[in-house]
Amino acid sequence: MSTVVSSSQAGALYWPVQLRRNVGVRSLFAVVLAFLVAYGVLFPGLLTASGFAKFTQSWFPLALVAMAQAILMLTGGISLAIGALVSLGAVIAATTMIGPLGVAGGTAAVALTGVGIGAATGFIVVKLRLPAIVVTLAGSFIIGGAALLILPRPGGAIPEWLSDLLAGNTPAAFVLLVLVVLLWKLYLATPLGLSLYAAGENPVGAYRSGVPVDGARIAAYAISGLLCTGAGLFVAAQTGSGDPVIGSAFTLNSIAAAVLGGIGFLGGQGTMRGALAGSLLLSLMISVMFFLGFTPVAQYVAQGLIIIGAVAIPQFRKVQQ
Amino acid sequence: MTTTATLLAARGVSKSFFGNPVLRNVSIALQPGRVHALLGENGAGKSTLINLLSGALRPDGGAIEVDGRPVSRMSPAHARHAGIAVVQQELSLTASLSIAENIGLGAYPKRFGLVDYTELAARARAACDLVGLREPLSTPVGHLSLGRRQMVEIAKALYRRPRVLILDEPTSSLSATETKTLTDLLERLRAEGIAILYISHRLNEVMTLCQHVTVLKDGACTADQSLEETDAAGLVRLMVGRDPGDLFPRWRPSPSPASAISVRNFSAGLMRDVDLDIRTGEVLGIGGLVGQGQEDLLLGLYGAIPARTASATVNGASGLPGGVPSANALGLAYVPADRKREGLHLIHPIITNMMLPAFARLPALKLRSRRAERDMARGLAAQLAIKGDLDRPAQALSGGNQQKVALAKWMPHDPLVLLLNDPTRGVDVETKREIYMMLRNLAAAGKAIVLLSSDTPELVHLCDRVAVVREGRIKAMLEREALSEEAIVSAAMGAEQQKVAA
Repeated sequence: MSTVVSSSQAGALYWPVQLRRNVGVRSLFAVVLAFLVAYGVLFPGLLTASGFAKFTQSWFPLALVAMAQAILMLTGGISLAIGALVSLGAVIAATTMIGPLGVAGGTAAVALTGVGIGAATGFIVVKLRLPAIVVTLAGSFIIGGAALLILPRPGGAIPEWLSDLLAGNTPAAFVLLVLVVLLWKLYLATPLGLSLYAAGENPVGAYRSGVPVDGARIAAYAISGLLCTGAGLFVAAQTGSGDPVIGSAFTLNSIAAAVLGGIGFLGGQGTMRGALAGSLLLSLMISVMFFLGFTPVAQYVAQGLIIIGAVAIPQFRKVQQ
Repeated sequence: MTTTATLLAARGVSKSFFGNPVLRNVSIALQPGRVHALLGENGAGKSTLINLLSGALRPDGGAIEVDGRPVSRMSPAHARHAGIAVVQQELSLTASLSIAENIGLGAYPKRFGLVDYTELAARARAACDLVGLREPLSTPVGHLSLGRRQMVEIAKALYRRPRVLILDEPTSSLSATETKTLTDLLERLRAEGIAILYISHRLNEVMTLCQHVTVLKDGACTADQSLEETDAAGLVRLMVGRDPGDLFPRWRPSPSPASAISVRNFSAGLMRDVDLDIRTGEVLGIGGLVGQGQEDLLLGLYGAIPARTASATVNGASGLPGGVPSANALGLAYVPADRKREGLHLIHPIITNMMLPAFARLPALKLRSRRAERDMARGLAAQLAIKGDLDRPAQALSGGNQQKVALAKWMPHDPLVLLLNDPTRGVDVETKREIYMMLRNLAAAGKAIVLLSSDTPELVHLCDRVAVVREGRIKAMLEREALSEEAIVSAAMGAEQQKVAA
């Protein structure tokens, strides 16, 4: 262990702490970088403005759901309702924005739905002490059913200017992602946000230290819900309309991205930057396989094998030590 | 009682769990500028008393007083507010957060709603300096050794500037230097007028550091006095000494012992370089404070955790069993301490529980004979006096009867060596007596019994020899003639030196 700061520099604590958090994910960053370079070489289009816009747009919703899943896994929970929430966000956006509510009202409706459902789920899991996996599985049926009730078949619409702004030839997705990450950093700098790690890894110790463990966990569920419906809004803008089952694939992909990013299932292990890198890696893998002409079935098989490998390699290292 | 203002006190508190009294009418008063020692054997009620004082539990009777005023509903938040800080044995740290973030957890300094890292660094540094932690504050706690984590835990308590500091075995994982730092620190805090409650099993530490002592035995207070009036041997006497009554069968020397297990330089888990000979026809006790490696000794012999050894002979075969099935084949059986999680399958019928080791021996796809199983289970139930319908789930039985089922399931296989992990914990007196009788009879029948126990009288009155384990080594092997509660407790706590000096 090297000494990064001497005690005389103790005044500067925040940045050394942040740097330390990179330690566990350095090799992941290297792999992602290698994939990015390979992708850039294979498809030079990435480096043009429109290529960059397209790539970040395909990554953006996956990045959001990966964050949504990672927050919950950090608290020791998990969600199987991510995909259903994405679908619900999409159909609410596609049905409200062209109506009297307009874009602003529709966005607010999407956000409130996400926060509300997330907080309710969190309340049930935390206060009633029910297993998150069961509650969110049941929740996925309820939420998915609600999406189908609102919009039984693909339809609705997103104003064209909004689709062009978010999913057209602009770097809007990337800017939004940077914004979301900055907001996350801000949240993690609050006492409640920082308590997330303690509440996930050592809830008894955290409680004895005076941490509002239940509050921190419910807040995590609410934020997770917001990220999911937000991703749904973006997906609706990409397609220009709402589809009540468009989010289905996101549930498992969000878990895959978080696991690739080094988030542990036991709570408190891993970092959000890891989860984001994991989602980028997954997104790159999907794109590369698509361009290489893998059939969808082969893509799934390859994806599964890579994820098992990603989890197994650190485990092997641990056993060898 | 002196006239100094008492900061925190318990007045005649009692507490029971499931009708089992753990504390009976115990009083303790913590005063500023005094290090107060709390002593007692495993299970004497020390942890429960701490939990009452810190608001984690509420007393059934009696009162907790802060600054001389009784507090009716003491909670952890109330205790924190009153300046009571507890350093528990179970650490409250988060491995992925930095030292500073752990120290401030639950009481972060804030600026504009955000954690004020500058202020946090200054205050955490001050707390770390007190305990001699020189590591950078940004170091994740997960990178620290256990001893250093313990120091972080103490720094975390000091960060809140407590008036009352309760330390539950703070030195159990500390090195000699760290212990010295801590003792100096406590001396300084005492001089500043902080009230300190100090729980430790190391009597020499207690003798040098503390001024006053409260001794608990079986949930009752046996001493509340100044330490000047006593010595280490006197303290040990206050902690032990029960009337064994006719609980134990009369001891008889075992017939012609032969070697059952013999290991040299055996290491497993916490245990390091142990030489041990286990003989047939004897009950070998394994004693010592909780968590010194005793369980790893049993599990290592049983092949349930990886073990290394220079040479080993188990029932005539050389080498340790490589796994549980081969241990069973060599005639070893293990009864775990946690019968609810490891010993039994609670929701399954008693008869299934009794048959499990038999299932492991049957060819995997052979049809079961219900009739033979039932006959065998009835026989076992009669032999061990397990009453009632064998088709009920195991959880319907009392703790004592559950333990009998956990023992019974090995009997049909006639194991030559029985490794028992605290078989009488939480078992009623009558069943205890039955189990003792059974163990003595098994030994007389030529089995080797290895009895790991946290109950000292049991070791004294039931065993032929007792190996006392401390810090992963067998520190003393007491023969029958040398067995006494004082001898075992002294060896377990490392108090032999004092005895020699006294």
